[in-house]
Amino acid sequence: MEPTELIDETETEAAEAEELVEEELLVEEISIDGMCGVY
Amino acid sequence: MTFDSAVAYRLHERVALRPEPFGALAYHYGNRRLNFLRAPELVTLVESLDQHDSVRAAFDAAGIDPSRWPSFEKALASLAASDFLVPEEVAA
Repeated sequence: MEPTELIDETETEAAEAEELVEEELLVEEISIDGMCGVY
Repeated sequence: MTFDSAVAYRLHERVALRPEPFGALAYHYGNRRLNFLRAPELVTLVESLDQHDSVRAAFDAAGIDPSRWPSFEKALASLAASDFLVPEEVAA
């Protein structure tokens, strides 16, 4: 792979990683409806 | 009520946090809702909210990377929407 292609691929990966960081799910609500009495 | 990061918030008095390896479980004894807090940093932030004059000040003090602030703010907004967090002026 050419050096310029490596740079482009790295920049794309960095952009995708940044996008993933912005979309990380830090809170998840769990439905416990109807679980009364379940052990 | 719209979440406002310029306002001080705190954990609702009927919410209990249980530390877990992934972060914490949060249970609201009033509305019986259950949330997973999926980052230890978020747990630390939530527990420290009442020590600051605003959510933004809490972010600064917690040392959270600014690139993650949008995700954390979204998380806090979600908790506020579920009544797990309340504005200080309402909770008093």
